[in-house]
Amino acid sequence: MASLHSTHGTTHKPESITLSELRSEFSHHDPTIARLNNGSFGCCPSSIISAQQRYQLLFLRQPDYFYYNTLKPSILKSRRIIQELINADHVDEVSIVDNVTTAAAIVLQHYTWSFFSSSFQPGDAAIILHHSYSAVKKAVQAYISRAGGHVIEVPIPFPVKSDDEIILEFQNALQMAKLNGRKIRLALIDHITSMPSVIIPVKELVKMCREEGVDRIFVDGAQAIGHVEIDVKDIGADFYTSNLHKWLFCPPSAAFLYCKMSDELSNMHHLVISHEYGNGLAMESGWVGTRDYSAQLVLPEVMEFVRRFEGGIEGIMSRNHEKVMEMADMLSEAWGTELGAPSEMCSSMVMVGMPACLGIKSGEDALKLRTHLRECFGVEVHMYYRAPIEREVDPVTGYARISHQVYNTVEDYHRFRDAVNKLVKDGLTCSLLPN
Amino acid sequence: MDPPAETEDPRAAANGENNHVSKKPKLSFITEPEIRQEFAHHKPGIARINNGSFGSCPASIIAAQKRWQLRFLQQPDDFFFNHLQRKILHSRTIVKDLINADHVDEVSIVDNATTAAAIVLQHVGWAFADGRFQKGDAVVMLHCAFQAVKKSIEAYVTRAGGSVIVVHLPFPVNSNEEIIAEFRKGLARGKANGKKVRLAIIDHITSMPCVVIPARELVKICREEGVERVFVDAAHAIGSIPVDVKEIGADFYVSNLHKWFFCPPSVAFLYCRKSPLSPDLHHPVVSHEYGNGLAIESAWIGTRDYSSQLVVPDVLEFINRFEGGLEGIRKRNHDAVVEMGEMLAKAWGTNLGSPPEMCPSMVMIGLPSRMGVLSDDDALKLRTHLRDHFGLEVPIHFQMPRDGEIRAADGDGCITGYARISHQVYNTLDDYVRLRDAINQLLSDGVACKMLQRE
Repeated sequence: MASLHSTHGTTHKPESITLSELRSEFSHHDPTIARLNNGSFGCCPSSIISAQQRYQLLFLRQPDYFYYNTLKPSILKSRRIIQELINADHVDEVSIVDNVTTAAAIVLQHYTWSFFSSSFQPGDAAIILHHSYSAVKKAVQAYISRAGGHVIEVPIPFPVKSDDEIILEFQNALQMAKLNGRKIRLALIDHITSMPSVIIPVKELVKMCREEGVDRIFVDGAQAIGHVEIDVKDIGADFYTSNLHKWLFCPPSAAFLYCKMSDELSNMHHLVISHEYGNGLAMESGWVGTRDYSAQLVLPEVMEFVRRFEGGIEGIMSRNHEKVMEMADMLSEAWGTELGAPSEMCSSMVMVGMPACLGIKSGEDALKLRTHLRECFGVEVHMYYRAPIEREVDPVTGYARISHQVYNTVEDYHRFRDAVNKLVKDGLTCSLLPN
Repeated sequence: MDPPAETEDPRAAANGENNHVSKKPKLSFITEPEIRQEFAHHKPGIARINNGSFGSCPASIIAAQKRWQLRFLQQPDDFFFNHLQRKILHSRTIVKDLINADHVDEVSIVDNATTAAAIVLQHVGWAFADGRFQKGDAVVMLHCAFQAVKKSIEAYVTRAGGSVIVVHLPFPVNSNEEIIAEFRKGLARGKANGKKVRLAIIDHITSMPCVVIPARELVKICREEGVERVFVDAAHAIGSIPVDVKEIGADFYVSNLHKWFFCPPSVAFLYCRKSPLSPDLHHPVVSHEYGNGLAIESAWIGTRDYSSQLVVPDVLEFINRFEGGLEGIRKRNHDAVVEMGEMLAKAWGTNLGSPPEMCPSMVMIGLPSRMGVLSDDDALKLRTHLRDHFGLEVPIHFQMPRDGEIRAADGDGCITGYARISHQVYNTLDDYVRLRDAINQLLSDGVACKMLQRE
């Protein structure tokens, strides 16, 4: 099973991928669906699926041999690739886990112990964004609130016009906490919020946290890798996590958790304890009992895949952004609506306002509309309900989160445009949709 | 591609009844060539007698799993919203019937027994932290508990201020009575200074050395001795011994489905008995379903490949192709491994580690004392040597003689090394003959463990 395992920047330049090869790599996608929701579950090219299946078969062929001789070095190889991608200093700082949900639980449980051992006092705070991912909010509840911690949610404006609006809100929240005499132990900041999706000025927020004496900063970059540039040293957080299966073409599922080198790092543990307990988080994460680790092993093949594109992963990222903005402008013009954020705050996902006449009045309405678009128009797109602010005139309460990844074509967005135009023409409102 | 057809009446299939009501008439049982084909992906030339560590998965189940993986990749949103939870519930329902649980709510599907241990022990850790348990309250474990479980106890119990009572069981062992007596003594001794025992962790089948434990009786003793809760670690059990969770009577019971139940890596069930006082367990990976009960929490722990959890219906179909179904497979494995064990013990002049009725589909066979297995390191070196030089996959156990007691010996000295052989449907006589001859070869070449290189 030969594979090029050199890191990027190598002398070997693979053949550029052709359009028909590209179509073939994603030919397993349901052809009847306009797939505009890469942000939820990501995508995986066929050549990576094949690579994954080779690893799966290797294990099944002779599991003991695989366990003793193959698994550890293969995980290490993946970790080194990630280390380089994110500009981490030491490979020890990079652990591979199942997904960001798991990474969040690992970091948060670590702070539960601080409450138990009284290094933290009841009422010490964690600060998160109001738009933090709901699963992460639940983890904060399960590990911080339950242990006696106080949770501060920073309201983030949406629609948003500039980084300054976010920076201001965050500043206010930190000041309030100070006035109330709250010690902020942990700040949890998204790099790209999920819903609504916006790029957060993490570097500035991290700096602010340091200045205000926040103990530790954890950046949730679930959407980030393969999507926007990540330089963990430049961002300066203590913890940074991102899913590899969303925008970096890995199969479901794998993620990395970066933990900046510190004394504390030796005391961080995975939640599932096995033989490697005490050998460091990266080692512990590399064995959480018998499992299929194959999704974590295909990083070398993924790097080969992205090098077939002009400009490699950077080229993919910048073309995705360009394309999605173009499509977003096309849609908002066609519907007479606005985008949720300016281009510089958009990644390869954009929030596009939905026509108000569709009557999206709740989260349930957004879900009903999403389902209707899937079932009746073959459009897969995530839908966001934005609660209107008091006394707001003509509020826009619905936004579609469109994405662009290498497999998308302009027809996908035309189909979405036409579907919404038809719904508007037919006078459909969400209240008419079945539950 | 459509999902695989649902099996009719899974309970009947699991109990091996061949005359259950079915739309498809059974024409014949699986044949030898079909079995070989199902396991043709196993590396040829390797005598694979370590089914206990990583299990095995037939080709038709691998294919079923691939179909589920593809379903997700084709249209993940649709899969997530419309199919995943329903299919996990189906698997849970099959497991509930297999293990004789009362409610499907009692059955959660998790990655493996290691994860289940973390779930139960994290809960214990919380109880210490929020004052429900006092510092010094104890957790009981067996000396031969699986190492990952021991570490989990360290990570969640010791770290939180709990104490640990370790109970030694005899090995080699001659009867259930020996185990019961030792357990009773060990537990009483551990409680001697008035410790409150919050949890006992008892193996149903110990891993190394491998013995079937009289779990039901030990659970009873725990109840008599005022142990608050009992967790049975039955990692090896399902598919190798009968499992009836109501009869065993524990509060928590876990078994891996990828060891002896033909599932792909990896999947396990965690049974949590429902009662007015049953504690609120949570999955450590917290996601949208937090607070909706462990089974529902476990069915969504973020984007993952859940396909190994979805093939349980296909596995039942596979098992049903064998005469007697699961019970038939289990019995034939047991009989074959005992026969092979006795063959080896005779050839080497050694002993079995336990009588046949205390063996599942694995047997511990004493290695000739001249092999000189005198440490865990020796055992690992020998195992590696057998793999690399003889194409034999078999785990080796070093049994430290306790209190100077010599429990087994051959003509040349103390028996301190044991091989744990297994039998699963893919094994042949040749696998064991090769082991017999390899050890004999090493002995005749005068090779003992201390001469083996650390590789």
